[in-house]
Amino acid sequence: MAYSNKVLDHYNNPRNVGSLDKSDPNVGTGMVGAPECGDVMKLQVKVNPETGVIEDAKFKTFGCGSAIASSSLATEWLHGKTVDEALQIKNTDIVNELSLPPVKIHCSVLAEDAIKAAISDYKKKAATKSEAVASS
Amino acid sequence: MSAAGHCWQCNQSTSGQLFCPACNSLQPPPNDYYALLGLERKLNLNTQALQQRFYELSRRLHPDRFMQRPVEERQYSLDASSILNDAYRTLKDPVKRAQYVLKQAGFDVGEQRSKDVPPELLEEVFELNMALEEMRGGDNSARPQLEQAESNFTRMMTDVDRQLESLFEKYDRSPSRDPLSELRGVLNRRKYIQNLLDEVHAELTPDT
Repeated sequence: MAYSNKVLDHYNNPRNVGSLDKSDPNVGTGMVGAPECGDVMKLQVKVNPETGVIEDAKFKTFGCGSAIASSSLATEWLHGKTVDEALQIKNTDIVNELSLPPVKIHCSVLAEDAIKAAISDYKKKAATKSEAVASS
Repeated sequence: MSAAGHCWQCNQSTSGQLFCPACNSLQPPPNDYYALLGLERKLNLNTQALQQRFYELSRRLHPDRFMQRPVEERQYSLDASSILNDAYRTLKDPVKRAQYVLKQAGFDVGEQRSKDVPPELLEEVFELNMALEEMRGGDNSARPQLEQAESNFTRMMTDVDRQLESLFEKYDRSPSRDPLSELRGVLNRRKYIQNLLDEVHAELTPDT
């Protein structure tokens, strides 16, 4: 199957590969996987707690070209968005941007799940932090 | 095999037989692999018996034998032969067989979301992938490590297959959803390990 040029571009020059400090209270980590193809995707966001803006996003994906491209694109989009804006990113946006064929749609779903998981991890941390502040 | 359980040709009761006991006409074939092969829905199958059953049915259902028969039967023999081939290909492989039984029991096999995968498994697979990637980045000196990884993955695979076996037995003793959902988890893990194993193999055997 032929990949679109955009997929190839992200695959050959993935943006924001790497990892952020998992123990940082401002970092949210999302780890998701697609068992039927054996993909795993880790996506992390670093949020400015004052503004709620995502200042950094990193990913590492083991999987096919479309899964790598989907997560690479996702981190690109996450930069500069607020947490709530980030939650609006839909897998269909990724499908359209990368012209993913129907058999690869699940890769974009994985990226959407990863964003949601990372943000929910960040929110959970933020909630425990404010609890800690309140009780101290 | 028709909905009414009566032969489409002579209207006698077929008692669920593929061939009408009264007039020997071929009936519309069931879509279910176990039903078509006349096998009990067990996860542990005697593959030799399965093969024999497949050969026997292949002969009996072969479209060449129905050239002189009514158009309905000619169609049924084509349909049945095609289902039979799929059935054999699926059921002879333990993993495909398990996936089939899961699907028939209403489990989503092809459309799982990550929430169906335990986080520890994802962490584990991620770490294994990271380690594999690091080894690969290096030169030939990484070879012993890769070989070590290969034997680890192979051992994990053996363990997983042993788990599958015991879940097969558990389900066959009492068919219920519990062993099936456990089974799905093990199959997911197996798929991940298979991928890792394929990658390490590819790394150790260049030019393939």
